[in-house]
Amino acid sequence: MGGMKPRHALYLYLAVLPAPTFVHDPVVLALGLLVALACAGAERWRILKKSLLAILAFNLSVSLGYIAVGLWRGDFRPDWLLVANLRVLLMVFLGFWFVARVNLLAALAGWPGATLVATLAIGQARSFDRLLRDFRCAFASRNIVKPRWTDRRHQTGAQAVALLDKAQAQSTEVALAMRSRGAFDA
Amino acid sequence: MHIPDGFLSPQTYLPAAAIAFGAWAWAARGLRQSLDETLVPRLAMLTALAYGLGLIMLPIPGGTSGHALGVAMLALLFGLRLAFLAYSGVLLLQALLFGAGGLTALPINALAMGLAGSATALVTFRLLKPLHETTAVAVAAWLSVFVPGILVALALGLQPWIAAKPDGSPLFFPFGPEITLPAILVPHAFIGIGEAALTLLVWRYARMRKWVA
Repeated sequence: MGGMKPRHALYLYLAVLPAPTFVHDPVVLALGLLVALACAGAERWRILKKSLLAILAFNLSVSLGYIAVGLWRGDFRPDWLLVANLRVLLMVFLGFWFVARVNLLAALAGWPGATLVATLAIGQARSFDRLLRDFRCAFASRNIVKPRWTDRRHQTGAQAVALLDKAQAQSTEVALAMRSRGAFDA
Repeated sequence: MHIPDGFLSPQTYLPAAAIAFGAWAWAARGLRQSLDETLVPRLAMLTALAYGLGLIMLPIPGGTSGHALGVAMLALLFGLRLAFLAYSGVLLLQALLFGAGGLTALPINALAMGLAGSATALVTFRLLKPLHETTAVAVAAWLSVFVPGILVALALGLQPWIAAKPDGSPLFFPFGPEITLPAILVPHAFIGIGEAALTLLVWRYARMRKWVA
């Protein structure tokens, strides 16, 4: 995936992703995962760890639910557990591998609408993250003793309004910059 | 309430993808004309908020996750088409960046949360607004969580019937609607209350800033 053009990598990813949903043999799914791991290069373990963490809570809850219901009904099938977890892990791994190797905005470059929304949303998500951290630090620095619940409520309200105002101001700047580059031209 | 990749059969996600592509094409018609430098920052801001809300999620044993959507505020402020597109973008980013949801599940997730959630919010709001605006916003927001919850629960709960081995064992999601419906709807009935409070907050903010008449 590394040497490919972003658009081609996107097409390849979209073509390969559904494949695990047509496979119900745990050995084939495990082989698919091994091939993906072998091809993912030096980042394979970081991507695998990220994939495992991403699916851990969800798959654990479904798997435990399945074990409980299966045992209760006397219809527990361990092969389903293996297939379902391998399939989900492989599909999530493929997604994270794609994102690690390919610039998403570059892959969407041919679709102006999608690029516009993705640019703004990614930019906003990062701004929100930074702003929330700033607010938290500021609130902590103003309270030497533990703040009361009333203080927390006032702080949350003020923070929410300021956050929305600041976020809008920032996205206005982004929109103006995009306008100056012809993003809104028909 | 994202459904992750790997729990939906191709018999489900392929037809859903065909419907979703049609819906996305319909929603994107005239998009360039409707977006300007006043609307885009507001849309981006609230899309990012919806994105953030969707990431604070708890797994639910019924096969999905519990979280606020933020789709009602998008629908009430920007209309059905923009809300559907923006929320689909949110789902796409969450799937690719955080593994929350997935691309094969994207059509079902987008149709349930983005399209049905937005449409439910708008219809409810228009019906109830003449009676009491605040109640209309709150009920619209609550239903915008609950109705997609029903659809997601059914999409998952029907998998044992749609895709099973000859011996009847499931190929994809193992639980039927008798488990998925209560497992998803009970938590989301409470999450909907939080969604209503949040949507009211944003609605009042929008009123304060004169975004809505």
